[in-house]
Amino acid sequence: MKARSMFLASALTMTLISSGTAMAARDSIAIVGSSTVYPFATVVAEQFGKGSTFKTPTIESTGTGGGFKLFCGGVGVTHPDITNASRAIKDSEKETCAKNGVTDIIELKIGYDGIVLANAKTTEPMELSRREIFLALAKQVPDPATDGKLIANPYKTWNQINPALPATAIEVLGPPPTSGTRDAFTEMVMVAGAEEFEFIKAMSKSDKDAFKRVSETVREDGAYIEAGENDNLIVQKLQANPKALGIFGFSFLDQNADAIQGSLIEGEAPTFDNISAGRYAVSRPLFIYVKKAHIGVIPGIKEYITEFSSEKAWGDDGYLADKGMIPMPAEERKKYADDVANLKTM
Amino acid sequence: MDFPALLLVLMLLAVGAYVLGARKAMAAAAAGGGIRSLHSLPSHYGMLTAVAAVLPALCLAVVWQAAQPPVLTALLKASLPAETQALSAGEFSLIINDITNVVAGNFTPGADQTVIAEAAQRYMKLQDTSDLLRTGIVLLLAAVSTALVYARITARLRARNIVEGVLKALLIVCSAFAIFTTIGIVLSVLFEALRFFKIVPPHEFLFGLDWSPQMAIRADQTGSSGAFGAVPVFAGTMLIALIAMIVAIPIGLLSAIYLSEYAGERLRTVAKPLLEILAGIPTVVYGFFAALTVAPLIRDLGLSFNLPVSSESALAAGLVMGIMIIPFVSSLSEDVLHAVPQSLRDGSLALGATKFETVKNVVVPAALPGIVGGVLLAVSRAIGETMIVVMAAGLSANLTANPFQAVTTVTVQIVTLLVGDQEFDSPKTLAAFALGLVLFFFTLFLNFIALRVVQKYREQYE
Amino acid sequence: MNNNAQPPVCCDTPGRSLSERIGRDLPRRYRAEKRFRRLGLTAIVVALSFLVFLFGSIIGSGYSAFRQTYVELAVTFDESAFTSENLAAADFPGLVKQSLRTMFPEVEGRAALKNLYRIVSPSAAYTLQDMVAENPKLIGTTQRIWVLADDDVDMLIKGQISGAGEEANRRLKDDQLAWITTLRDQGRIETRFNTTFFTAGDSREPEQAGIRGAVMGSFYSLLITLLLSFPIGVMAAIYLEEFAPDNILTNVIEVNINNLAAVPSIIFGLLGLAIFINFFGMPRSTPVVGGLVLTLMTLPVIIIASRAALKSVPPSIREAALGIGASKMQTVIHHVLPLALPGMLTGTIIGMARALGDTAPLLMIGMIAFIVDIPSGFTDPATALPVQIFLWADSPERAFTEKTSAAIMILLAFLIAMNATAVFLRKKFEIKW
Repeated sequence: MKARSMFLASALTMTLISSGTAMAARDSIAIVGSSTVYPFATVVAEQFGKGSTFKTPTIESTGTGGGFKLFCGGVGVTHPDITNASRAIKDSEKETCAKNGVTDIIELKIGYDGIVLANAKTTEPMELSRREIFLALAKQVPDPATDGKLIANPYKTWNQINPALPATAIEVLGPPPTSGTRDAFTEMVMVAGAEEFEFIKAMSKSDKDAFKRVSETVREDGAYIEAGENDNLIVQKLQANPKALGIFGFSFLDQNADAIQGSLIEGEAPTFDNISAGRYAVSRPLFIYVKKAHIGVIPGIKEYITEFSSEKAWGDDGYLADKGMIPMPAEERKKYADDVANLKTM
Repeated sequence: MDFPALLLVLMLLAVGAYVLGARKAMAAAAAGGGIRSLHSLPSHYGMLTAVAAVLPALCLAVVWQAAQPPVLTALLKASLPAETQALSAGEFSLIINDITNVVAGNFTPGADQTVIAEAAQRYMKLQDTSDLLRTGIVLLLAAVSTALVYARITARLRARNIVEGVLKALLIVCSAFAIFTTIGIVLSVLFEALRFFKIVPPHEFLFGLDWSPQMAIRADQTGSSGAFGAVPVFAGTMLIALIAMIVAIPIGLLSAIYLSEYAGERLRTVAKPLLEILAGIPTVVYGFFAALTVAPLIRDLGLSFNLPVSSESALAAGLVMGIMIIPFVSSLSEDVLHAVPQSLRDGSLALGATKFETVKNVVVPAALPGIVGGVLLAVSRAIGETMIVVMAAGLSANLTANPFQAVTTVTVQIVTLLVGDQEFDSPKTLAAFALGLVLFFFTLFLNFIALRVVQKYREQYE
Repeated sequence: MNNNAQPPVCCDTPGRSLSERIGRDLPRRYRAEKRFRRLGLTAIVVALSFLVFLFGSIIGSGYSAFRQTYVELAVTFDESAFTSENLAAADFPGLVKQSLRTMFPEVEGRAALKNLYRIVSPSAAYTLQDMVAENPKLIGTTQRIWVLADDDVDMLIKGQISGAGEEANRRLKDDQLAWITTLRDQGRIETRFNTTFFTAGDSREPEQAGIRGAVMGSFYSLLITLLLSFPIGVMAAIYLEEFAPDNILTNVIEVNINNLAAVPSIIFGLLGLAIFINFFGMPRSTPVVGGLVLTLMTLPVIIIASRAALKSVPPSIREAALGIGASKMQTVIHHVLPLALPGMLTGTIIGMARALGDTAPLLMIGMIAFIVDIPSGFTDPATALPVQIFLWADSPERAFTEKTSAAIMILLAFLIAMNATAVFLRKKFEIKW
């Protein structure tokens, strides 16, 4: 009798497996990609699913690179239709795509994400320049004693950099080098800060590699703490440790404005208005990439990107702005909305 | 007939075959001088017939089910217009998806999609034919093989041996799953790891003292190249595991001894499963606990003693991980302690030893191999734990033995490298697979030691 | 041997008798005994207090998620809004806005109106839509309807954000606070039991988010895991414990199984990605793949537990069965297995509990995803409970904090139920030899 029930069980499992491997017809949009775009793409997906007869798209948070890897895997049901990216597609990724037959890609810029430096409300807000941030976080900084010489970063407290700053230890929680947020921060703050030193700027012409190394390498002696990709955790760690600063996306500052405050960079506070007007220096574009070959085949892709590019989504008063995404200027929105309407490929 | 229905019919057939086989065996026995002349029990003949009815037919049905979509697609392709046939495999799969979507009723084809509508019709027809054919052939096969076996049933047929042979083969296949899994694991990380080792030489990876995967994300950032020396990562893992064990071993072992030697039956039945819940709490929860409660606490404590404590100290992650693995130590040790025969304790107590002395000098040494095995299992748990360290330990790869500093672990690096925004084929991402491979062999090594310890010092008490 | 006859050969002063020496040592030995006993008890208390503390902090921050704030609206289903045949095409958000405007006719200006609309959740429109779809007779009438409040309002009512402080730093502006106070005074805001949390799938609006999708995803995954890993695990254990010859192959399998039980779960995720998704081409983000990966992960646990259970069946049972002429297979199936089954079940439940709580392998096979629709089969896209916790934990909205804790409570409830079943089985069928 035992053998019988075992038999039954195994037969049942075989049914299950076979029903699993049976030809999978996909009737919902599959989206992968960046964890930064995820909170915005999911809002659109939900609105789209509720407001239309299509199924709600599934959105995976895989990171931008992992997203492109899947997206460029090929054309067909088993490959995703759309990938979210917190940076533009790279040439090498385009090549991979082309190699696998993914040639017609629609690039759609959806808006901006501000990157903020913030600390807990219980302390004073910081007022920093990019130069000061560079001096605080770079691995090598110009020697204040001798001109044109680089030394390992000696600064331990903020007031060593600028006496006007508080006398607290430099302690910045930020994303790891694998993160697009870190990449954007390096480019827009660190490099810009480094260029304020004449001799480093000169290096960018004479010795490009050395310039990159100096301007982009973040110190590793404990002052900059790589805290992972979970921005919420950074926010909560800041509340637990009022002396620390954190680097993360604007939407987290927006939601927690009662507990944390953004530091002023170059005299501008990271507010919604300042970022969208371009006054606040540190923000980066967000993209989605759509496989044209799938449009009209997987139901609803066209309608989804139309929803994404509608004013009620990405407009100045749209629901994406409500979630903390910074809208593009009106003319840029119009350009990309036209691209969507014409399905213009890259 | 669709697949589940077919399976159901096969099951019914098996029951029928069982009855038939058993009847025939009874009849043969009655003819040949009573039930004692049968080689096996009547039920064995029944089972043999049932196996004959189901096994070949089931294999065929499963193979058919797996082969049906590709074959049907190929047939369909041949009937589609030439320009559709010329499409690449990927684009063609989209057309097929369209067709299957129509077949499944997920959407109705538009006016300009007559090709697809027609193809969907054809596909449905093909599918019906295939289903009919399959049902026929499978049932025929079942009938034929049943008949063949049925005809051969005699009193002297060694039915039991055959049935047991089939069963044993099934058992062997099941136990071989472990090997398949291991091979699968090695294969699934090996190729990517090899690609990584082409870019970064293995000796540099294994013995390098500098871990800083600050490789450029964008192509124009050629300047900063990364360093991939895994020693700090593994050292960090060891440090956190060590802290975890310093917490878990005393608490776990003492709890185990108390529960097994001192506690009454009631406390034991309540406390042991309660402790086991500690191991069942999702590690995400521990992660939050470590990052938001324990880490700031340790930091403030350190500051009050004028110690520089990182807010992501190894101590916080290690302590919390220690709590999580208490049950691994306590539960397993308790089981082993419990298995030490009472006669050993009685002997020791009779010689005048106190209970503590008995435990210390008799019970624990007798149970030591099992305890060591449990501890090693807990160690490999600690090494492989992901979520706690992802949230609490940070990512700075410091080569340090100072528990107040931030360190990183192998699993954290694997997760960060795999879900980052960098290009997927960059050494950064591939490094995750290399780390995975090394980690796998590391736990293998630990387990090998554990097994040897247990084997060498195991005492048999029965 | 007579101990008293000979003075003990020892270093001590020879004049004392043994009993004297023992008597002198006794207090010290008893003290050691007491100390040790206390130490053991302390260890248990420490471990359990961790448990209590963890539970306390989770429940403390999560219990409020089981209540949700509702706002009462007087909605006029104006016939002019339902001109089209298709009821779903009507402007339901407009109806909601209209009713808010009638409630506060004094509000003017675009910005102020936008703030006003933000008091109720965007889901209110869908609530109305469902009502009308269910009962078209509502058209032309005015109904008083309770709809979900926005998550910020909810947080304020629950006291998790305060209305104090500078206006610019608050999610809720001064005029919104005033409206909320008015509504409250009119009794048009109340908190109720949060049924949405148990019936809805994931959502980006905290007030609409529920765990049903994740629970179903976990259910389907675990069903596959159970159906595969229990029979395979038990059969493998039977072979290894009862039949396997002692040779190299058996040793290799044994080391392998022990090793697999300790392999980091994230590596199983890599395996699942390579084998099931890339090699067999199974769809991503589905319970079937999740279940298979979890099967591979729990299999070693079940095998080890089952072997232990088989081991604990005394050899005398086997010898008796063999002695009266049963074959080896009959002995195992008829006599050993039934006795070992409770132990095997316990091991299986504990293995399943582990599978239920594990996040890391699912990271790799695409189950970290935003999925709104509740899965209704093994191949529908789905996530799992621990993954949902992980995702909510990373959401910016404040209201997700309590949802996270509430989801953890649900997960813990399942875990405790499973563990309790295991304990019950163990108690009920435990046989002392």
